[in-house]
Amino acid sequence: MSTFIASDGKSRPARVAVVAAGVVSPLGLGLAETLEALRSARDCIKPVTRFCVERCRCKTAGQVADEHLDGSRAGRRDQRLHRASQMIIAALGEALKQDRQFRPELTVIGTTSGGMSYGESYYRALDRGGDLRRAPTWIANYPPQKPIIDAQQRFGLSAPCQVIANACASGTNAIGHAFDCVRSGRYQRVLTGGYDALSELVFVGFDSLQAATPEKCRPFDRDRSGMVLGEGAAVLALENLEVARARGAAIFGEIVGYGISTDNFHMTQPDPSGAGARLAMERALRSADIAAEAVDYINAHGTATTFNDAAEGKAISQLFDDVPVSSTKSMMGHSLGAAGAVEAIVCLLALEHQFLPPNINFRAPDEDVDLRIVANESRPASLRTVLSNSFGFGGTNASLLIHRATA
Amino acid sequence: MNLAIAGMGWVTPLGCGVDLVWKRLLGAEEAIAEKLPGPFANRPYLVFRVPDSALSALPTSPRLRRVSAISRFAVAAGLEALKTAGLTIHSNNAQQIALIFAISNGGVVYTRRFYSDIVASGAQAASPLLFPETVFNAPASHLAALLGTTGATYTIVGDGAVGLLAMRMAEDVMKNEELNYCLVVAAEEVDWLLCDAYRQWRLLRSAPPVEPFRVPPRGMILSEGAGAILLGRDGSVKLDQTHPGGDYSKRGAAAEALKVILAELASGDTDLIVCSANGTFVDQAEAQAISQLRLDGTIYTVKPALGESVGASGVWQVMVAAQALRTGELPPLLHGPAQMPFGLERASRVGGGRCALVINCGLNQQVAGLRLANRP
Repeated sequence: MSTFIASDGKSRPARVAVVAAGVVSPLGLGLAETLEALRSARDCIKPVTRFCVERCRCKTAGQVADEHLDGSRAGRRDQRLHRASQMIIAALGEALKQDRQFRPELTVIGTTSGGMSYGESYYRALDRGGDLRRAPTWIANYPPQKPIIDAQQRFGLSAPCQVIANACASGTNAIGHAFDCVRSGRYQRVLTGGYDALSELVFVGFDSLQAATPEKCRPFDRDRSGMVLGEGAAVLALENLEVARARGAAIFGEIVGYGISTDNFHMTQPDPSGAGARLAMERALRSADIAAEAVDYINAHGTATTFNDAAEGKAISQLFDDVPVSSTKSMMGHSLGAAGAVEAIVCLLALEHQFLPPNINFRAPDEDVDLRIVANESRPASLRTVLSNSFGFGGTNASLLIHRATA
Repeated sequence: MNLAIAGMGWVTPLGCGVDLVWKRLLGAEEAIAEKLPGPFANRPYLVFRVPDSALSALPTSPRLRRVSAISRFAVAAGLEALKTAGLTIHSNNAQQIALIFAISNGGVVYTRRFYSDIVASGAQAASPLLFPETVFNAPASHLAALLGTTGATYTIVGDGAVGLLAMRMAEDVMKNEELNYCLVVAAEEVDWLLCDAYRQWRLLRSAPPVEPFRVPPRGMILSEGAGAILLGRDGSVKLDQTHPGGDYSKRGAAAEALKVILAELASGDTDLIVCSANGTFVDQAEAQAISQLRLDGTIYTVKPALGESVGASGVWQVMVAAQALRTGELPPLLHGPAQMPFGLERASRVGGGRCALVINCGLNQQVAGLRLANRP
């Protein structure tokens, strides 16, 4: 899908390195805690504590521990910030500790709901004729772009922001577009990632669609019954590989391909044939100029809904032969706009530490989904290239291909 | 690589269609405010709304049956842009057209209705029909489905500057040589909840007119609608330069952020500067930035006539600039002060019609700008 010609019209498109990364999710704060949770196949789904779920079918979610965000609260102004701001500040802080020189020319970030819970607070206060003294704060911190502006200001960055809201594919679309931006030669350094905080409106929304499960989240299992929501934030610092090498930056991994497709089938359901998902994966392979056989692991979108997993499973099995597949949402829930970014970091960790992240709560294979699931435990593996999928409402599909860093 | 405007579509409170809206703007018409129904009898909100008749030509499609106003506006504008460009989408070119949708507050009517049911009656009352329409990318999805595009579709969110950021993103996306076109659509719908939020921020005026560049500022009137610009590889009005945008930390710093952008975009043959002045603090920031850089060019804002459409406003500004360059005419600046601040110029014609700057200072910290040129 992507054919970029460098600005001189002759040379090949730029290679794109990941030079730093940061993450906060239900798995933990930072790369080390995330790695430990992945390796030990930790189930981080817990009863929801942030709002009342008494009348919901689903009562659990992956939640970021408050103590992981306390370190971000330096002053009164920061205490007014939305939880999504605090999460992206934590993630960006970790990335910038790894590469203090990184100064992006552009930031491309994904989200679906930004500071939604502040909008809820505002509406509830209006509805009950309550105290509106905090209304200006709620309104100021509600817009979806606010968390990334807050995070950049915290660290003295001022890159222009493109905030992508492509539903559950937002994070992967953000990384993919950022990759294209560096690859085209227009930018040398782009900050990318995603964030989303749990909110009542979104939680109840998925519950109303009966997409959320009252049971365990079991992606690709025969008895899967739905998704569990999550929250989190992750950032990746992308840089032209040659420029990064020239300044001696550490290379965490290399983004090598990106595919995006729109399947137009239904607002909330994927094309059951898997055509949209397949097209995104095919375009990613084409963009990377590699064959499907070169892919060593797939981090699936794998929401554990009947329809998503069937369509994605079909698409994967049509394109790939016996590649290990897991959905790490089974461990931490679906963090929507953050999911693609968090999962890209899962892929980078898998590449760096040479292991397959697990798909927990897996009991029985689905006869209609012919996949080699990394069931319940992580395991060592020799990985060079991995694929990460994200699919969202509105038929938006995105796939990323990531290479292990080479010397 | 210069992209050019191949087609445009416009849905506004003054009607639907580029020719119609432009004619009304040239005729110094302004939208008529109507009272928005809301729960507070003591807080009436006057807004500029898109008349129902403006969307009568929308195609009947199952996809549009239950969608919110914002999606209808977007579809109407998008279809007009393709029509004016003479472009038909079919299976052979469906993946060669990218769609970038700019949005600020999104489907606020359905979002408020969905959440009010939860607040009033509990989670079990939540509507599974409404929820999908609350998602930011719902309008883009409906539009892509109606057009049949299968390539890249992005929804980009932000404040009033988002339309110009979308134009920049379109330029980024069109670096991919396999794409022939990028359709940029921006849309917004009004709701009493939105009005109340801006009132809490002391940015809203209780009734028209919108008085741009007035000191002190008296506030804005919200409006709704959509704008669509089809960017292609050829055309007479070129997207000469885009700026990636920036942000400001507090209102007092907005002028400095705008100056950075204007300084990069300024050229000697600028005949027109289309501002986002809407009767708020934005006006002074823009006037100050322009005057401090001593930029030539007629200053114009369309917001007294069409209102502040937030997410749609940036694309509307670009359309005004493109029309002015094409026709050499500019609508009169309505309700402006007799004496413009900082000695800025106001006029009703566009010099030689060579080059136009478009700047937008959003209300939530974002700024952006671009330059159009009329170069054969």
